[in-house]
Amino acid sequence: MKIIFPDSTTETMVGEPVRIGRILDRLGINPSEVIVSRNGKLVPEDAIAGGDEVIRIIRIAHGG
Amino acid sequence: MICGEQPVIRLREPDRHLCAAHLIAEVEERAARTIRERELIKPHDRIAVAFSGGKDSTALLVILSRLLPSWEDVSLVAITVDEGIAGYRDDTIRAAEELTRKTGTEHVCVSFKDLVGADLDTLLVGRETQACSVCGILRRKALSVAAHNAGAIKIATGHNLDDEAQSVLMNTLRGDLPRLVRTSDADSSDCFIPRIKPLADISEKEIAAYLFVQDLFPFLPECPYTRYALRLEVRSMLSAMEQKHPGTMRNLIKSKRAIEKQVGRRVMSEPLRRCRQCGDPCSGELCQVCMLRASLGK
Repeated sequence: MKIIFPDSTTETMVGEPVRIGRILDRLGINPSEVIVSRNGKLVPEDAIAGGDEVIRIIRIAHGG
Repeated sequence: MICGEQPVIRLREPDRHLCAAHLIAEVEERAARTIRERELIKPHDRIAVAFSGGKDSTALLVILSRLLPSWEDVSLVAITVDEGIAGYRDDTIRAAEELTRKTGTEHVCVSFKDLVGADLDTLLVGRETQACSVCGILRRKALSVAAHNAGAIKIATGHNLDDEAQSVLMNTLRGDLPRLVRTSDADSSDCFIPRIKPLADISEKEIAAYLFVQDLFPFLPECPYTRYALRLEVRSMLSAMEQKHPGTMRNLIKSKRAIEKQVGRRVMSEPLRRCRQCGDPCSGELCQVCMLRASLGK
């Protein structure tokens, strides 16, 4: 599974399918501060991702 | 889940999953309810939409332009303020122009250069840590002037539930009770153009998801001055609390409203004065813009 971070860097994760919320936990990202797409479609944090799927994490907070 | 479609977001309070269509319907209905219940928009109003091209103001303009036919003789004018921030504002202004074209909204662009003769980058040399307060003061002024010139009687801003909760906490942390209970609504309309916040009941995440599912989410760069903002720390603290204890932000706003009811009038009982330099309403001898101008030598 390929993860695209808010700064456009990427990381490949291998292993069993996993809840997106778990991925965010592992990365230390607060789910309230991002939205996540799986293969281009928006999904909630309790959706499962794995295999060849592309997960994109989009930061939502901007401005001062 | 309400229907059999794939969910795009999980909301709490109450805990539920929504598909794209139900999310769009719910966000628009909640904004419409806020407007209706707080009587934010009335027949014949001309509304200036503070429109930076970022996500909140994009959602605001999209929602207001969709609701527009349901109001009697209401018109919108979108106002974009170009602060003059290199590598940041150009993209958002382009995004703003594109959306106003799509929604058929009248669009006015004003700049700090027009207002004080210099862009924000120039004004902030050597005082970068004050970026957000300098920018905030000048942006409010630029918006008021542009709204007045466009004949608007209200200014709609894209402040969302998270922004409102952050402001409550920031003003509390600063011990600033007058600002905590200050209102810019119709009570002060004889002095200021009243501000309305139709998205105040919608979370930042709901707004981002609302735009994303319609291919309207603006992927734009972060303001380079954000790192100096107290709001950044407060935002991170509050969103961690909200994640652990859903309802934290709403409860903060509820507390603010309770304090407002109890002490609002007493705290605000001092009459507003006029700035001796420009004549604008203010609480002291000089308004914030004139004080800022003096300190900047402008």
